[in-house]
Amino acid sequence: MKILVTGAAGFLGSILTERLLARGEKDIRVFIRPGPKRAKLEAIAARYPDANVEFFTGNLISAPDCARAVAGVDTVYHLAAAMSGAAADMFLHTVVASKYLLDAIAAQGRPIRTVLVSSFSVYGVASLGRRARVDEKTPLEPHPERRDLYAQAKLRQEKLFWEYREKYGIPVTVLRPGVIYGPGAKPFSNRIGLNLFGLFLHLGGRNHLPLTYVENCADAILTAGSRPEAEGEVYNVVDDDLPTCSEFLKTYRREVERLRVIRMPYFATMMMSRAVERYHHWSKGQLPAVFTPYKTASMWAGNTFSNAKLKSLGWKPHVATHDAIRHALKSYKASLGS
Amino acid sequence: MQLKVAIVGCGKIADGHVEEIQKMPERACVVAACDRELLIAEQLCMRYGIPAKYDDFTALLEREKPDVVHITTPPQSHLALTKQSIDAGCHVFVEKPFAMNLAETREMLDYAEAHRKKVTLGYRTFFDPPALAMRRLVAEGVIGEPVHLESHYGYDLTGQFGQALISDPNHWVHKLPGKLFHNIIDHLLNKVVEFIPDDEPEVIVHASSIRPQKFGDSRDLLKDELRLMIHGERVTAFGTFSSHIRPVRESLRLYGTKNTAHIDWGMRAVTLEAVGKLPSAIGRLVPPFDMARSYFREGMRNVWKFAKADFHYFAGMHTLIARFYDSILHDLPVPYAYRDIIRVSRLLDQIFSRIEQGHETRAFAVGAGR
Repeated sequence: MKILVTGAAGFLGSILTERLLARGEKDIRVFIRPGPKRAKLEAIAARYPDANVEFFTGNLISAPDCARAVAGVDTVYHLAAAMSGAAADMFLHTVVASKYLLDAIAAQGRPIRTVLVSSFSVYGVASLGRRARVDEKTPLEPHPERRDLYAQAKLRQEKLFWEYREKYGIPVTVLRPGVIYGPGAKPFSNRIGLNLFGLFLHLGGRNHLPLTYVENCADAILTAGSRPEAEGEVYNVVDDDLPTCSEFLKTYRREVERLRVIRMPYFATMMMSRAVERYHHWSKGQLPAVFTPYKTASMWAGNTFSNAKLKSLGWKPHVATHDAIRHALKSYKASLGS
Repeated sequence: MQLKVAIVGCGKIADGHVEEIQKMPERACVVAACDRELLIAEQLCMRYGIPAKYDDFTALLEREKPDVVHITTPPQSHLALTKQSIDAGCHVFVEKPFAMNLAETREMLDYAEAHRKKVTLGYRTFFDPPALAMRRLVAEGVIGEPVHLESHYGYDLTGQFGQALISDPNHWVHKLPGKLFHNIIDHLLNKVVEFIPDDEPEVIVHASSIRPQKFGDSRDLLKDELRLMIHGERVTAFGTFSSHIRPVRESLRLYGTKNTAHIDWGMRAVTLEAVGKLPSAIGRLVPPFDMARSYFREGMRNVWKFAKADFHYFAGMHTLIARFYDSILHDLPVPYAYRDIIRVSRLLDQIFSRIEQGHETRAFAVGAGR
């Protein structure tokens, strides 16, 4: 079986490729962009000399590149997405790139199992109320225009996959990870707070932090991608024993570095958000609406998260959250020193 | 009357156009957006509440019948889209760079004049508050007769726009005759052209690249440093475009027979060079304080503008669009003279021709760690 991994040089992509090899896959095509970021993948491939790891250098916003990338492939793991940038670039590299890939898959005229790594950010949680439980039946975001660019792009990307499944019968499975963390990634999610000019604005409080350790997340993706019953389904990906944002921050300050922290309760964040949004409108955009009540309700109201559906496939996080956090923070601390 | 506006090309700069147009509902309303990739048009419409999206510009013109089209596509398509818009009865706002070369520039302007439609181009920094303040000083005679200019434009290749072309060997900038310079140095040259009235001044060009060559494709061909010397009959100018000088700045130093003005777009400040008016050592002590007072005054002016919510990034774009729409609505002159569009275009052709010939370009070898 030949497998294509897009975004293979990224944080999750490289681990996913390694887990595929560790599971005994022998024929993997890794889609990487032109440039120098291939050393990590080459090191991984070197550890599995019996396997054929094909480095495919191309651009997902090139239809011919996508056509060549999916030729002869049985399964596609689509991880590539823009993490930041201007709106048009975010949509180009997340949504349009997905369209080219899906067009290429559809043009093959045969069922290619396609696994999309989406995001928790596609859920419309602002109207759910505080502490609401988020599972796969939670509605998708009804007002993307009121969310940040990443959420907008990931939502449109996921909808595109369902449209293509409907139109061309492509077998699709979608995974929605929470906050993916591990060695090599920055330890802080905006769900915990924001670093502002040397001060850490702690906004998450006692909200559960929907963490998934990168290896556990990769296992979840592979589990769902290999099960026939997962076709046409969506799975949340979060680990067990999730810490609160406060607990994570406390561990960080103990294990990594001291931080100057200002704790901001939810009601105060909401008041600030209303003020920022009003000012943004009054001043005709003189300062960006970084905070709005809608974004605040989406990000910091606090939810609980279910991974029951994923577990029903037989997945379980093989790295315990406590150990994973310690390992990730230790690695990050070492990177600060280097 | 409210003008119906359509946007064709929904990339990054289209955001700035839509935001500024939506701030002037008394003049105009964006009715539709078009991009050859419908998903890109969709994202612009979703974020700004634009009612109609298209991937077929002909269909947009037929159905929406806009009064004005803003062309924010790469310049390779400007000629065809401008003519198509004019054929549909539209006035046209073209993002810079205006065209691929002087011949196209003339063709676009001639076509507009023949069809009695108005055209302008996206020289937003030309209308930014410091540029307007400088023009007031010149009009009031404070500067005297211009003698020389130093126009500096800094560029950050690690920024949003820079990364877009550095990460993609097929980016449209790589296919322009003047590559990166073609996309940027309008901002440098329009300030020079304003004060050098000659149609064909003499130009000396030095172009170079000081990035490490690491891709093995079109990106390595991108030159990133440009020095110009432009000789008019009475006025001369130095032009500096740099991707490496820090801080990244856009500035103009205007040397006149009475005073020298320094215009800084990043600081939004216009100051006059201080001179010692007192004798001896005292005369050398005072000028720095005069300069400090000038900057303090500019700073306070900016604070006052900020407090009044009049300190926006795209202030120049707003002024330019408003003046263009007023020129349509009230039959006034266009905000940027066609003659100056042609003169900038001619200079661009000259500069790129010299770079192409290779006589006056250099490549520096620097350490790979740069």
